[in-house]
Amino acid sequence: MGNPYVIIGTGAAGMAAAERLRLLKPDALIQMMSIDTDSHSRCMLHKFLGGERDVKGLFFMEEDFFAKKNIMWGRGQVAKGVDPAGKRVLMENGYQPYEKLLIATGSVYGIPPIPGFRTSVNVFGFRDLSDAQKMDAAIKELDAKHVFIVGSGLVGLDVAHALLERGVRVTIAEMATRVLPLQTDETSARAYQELFEKAGARFRLGIGASDSVVDENNRITAVRLSNGEEIPCDFVVCAAGVRPNLAFLEGSGLKTDRGIVVDEFMRTSDPDIYAAGDVTALSGIWPNAMDQGRIAAANMCGQQQKYTDTFCIKNTINFYGLTMLSVGEVEPKEEGSQVFTRECRNAYQKVIVRDGMVKGVQLQGDISHSGFWQYLIKNQVDISGKLAKKSVFDLGYGDFYGMDELGEYVYP
Amino acid sequence: MKRIMIDPSKCDGCKSCMLACMDSHRTDGKTGVETLDFKDPANESRNEIVNDGKGGYLPMFCRHCSSPKCMESCMSGALYRDRESGHVGYDEKRCGACFMCVMNCPYGIPKPDVTRTKIIKCDFCKDREEGPACVAACPKKAIYVEEV
Repeated sequence: MGNPYVIIGTGAAGMAAAERLRLLKPDALIQMMSIDTDSHSRCMLHKFLGGERDVKGLFFMEEDFFAKKNIMWGRGQVAKGVDPAGKRVLMENGYQPYEKLLIATGSVYGIPPIPGFRTSVNVFGFRDLSDAQKMDAAIKELDAKHVFIVGSGLVGLDVAHALLERGVRVTIAEMATRVLPLQTDETSARAYQELFEKAGARFRLGIGASDSVVDENNRITAVRLSNGEEIPCDFVVCAAGVRPNLAFLEGSGLKTDRGIVVDEFMRTSDPDIYAAGDVTALSGIWPNAMDQGRIAAANMCGQQQKYTDTFCIKNTINFYGLTMLSVGEVEPKEEGSQVFTRECRNAYQKVIVRDGMVKGVQLQGDISHSGFWQYLIKNQVDISGKLAKKSVFDLGYGDFYGMDELGEYVYP
Repeated sequence: MKRIMIDPSKCDGCKSCMLACMDSHRTDGKTGVETLDFKDPANESRNEIVNDGKGGYLPMFCRHCSSPKCMESCMSGALYRDRESGHVGYDEKRCGACFMCVMNCPYGIPKPDVTRTKIIKCDFCKDREEGPACVAACPKKAIYVEEV
């Protein structure tokens, strides 16, 4: 029957690829492998930590996916290297040959080079289920009352939210002067900061950690900030960025940059090896990782599909019932921009327009019917004609309405 | 797959489709728009009629797209392709309320519900044998079901 199609990684990109491979190759052998013993949606890890969902509740494909799709899955199997010439993956217990290989190993978190952080036993990241499980154990074991979090991006605030739900107090240090700095401006950030503070969080903005106090058991008991303040804590969480997980590729000869280098067909420098998701340093966000996985799978089956929908400066946020959409620039990046804002008690909206095109949008509060904004921004649609007739805040898909012969909506 | 086809030129903006949608998805066990609580946000309509600014109306109805951007962006598995009907189904128990689907639908159709714990999305009235309630309620045949 020949060698299987092999996918390393069961995250967004890997699973989307597996589903597409099975669709295109009903009879092919498909072998997946993952460090984690359970496939899970990383975007829902905080729901596990907060006690809202069990491990099973983090699975994001249809029930019994592997059995139904006849896909073999090496749970908890670590890839140690890739041998492109021999067309095989080096595993802990031998070699796994492949017909085509997809590397979808995601990313790993970094621990900042703060004294004590890289050597202490109670410093955690938050990326894999095992991270959440370790943190869960630490909360119980240490009867944790107070946790120090580095970074107030989406991951940092997800962790903070989960810990607060469990009655653990958190202090969050953020180098930027506002929370969620990639998605917000001063106004939209303040709304989230206030909600978290109401729930018991403390923020230290524009301030970094610079040192730590470590006890005889090699545990951090307090973190020192750059302003001299000392924050006692039971453990530390680092949520200050990730990098592609490609250390295991050393010596493989595959071309890497920040991530694995791929062409527009998601193919690496080896014609039989593809890569998708965070490991390529291209995606940054779930929907794009899935797209890349599906496109890689199609090309592994001999199709010629290009990854063109690359725009990824976009996100949605939902904390304490306050929802937000943020796409593109959060502040105007160039002179000559028009900035439209409007605000009321429970909503804030901001649109940045330059040269007749939308460059950025933030909607906080009601985000109904807002999907068209991403289309306008990533395709740089000229809206100057529309703006002559109505407020930018009254735009909607209706302004671009159209249908094809099968009744699907299209843009003109 | 069956799709609710739209002829905007026939729509006169009566919004009977919206009322029918609200009535069809209510959870208080009653039927009939005359008994519908319009103030209850739980009774939100899954479709919408938008004024085109030129005296006409634009029906906004989920297309159950051939390449559904909502489903393709779902990080919980809540949005799925129903094998039998071909429609894009939604399992609110699995939904993580991240609203990636709201952001990713280029046509702005799905929306968060008022509790911000799930989305409001067309289910083609799957439990209604006669088909979608909106279509039955349209007096102008501006929306109609067709096999595509």
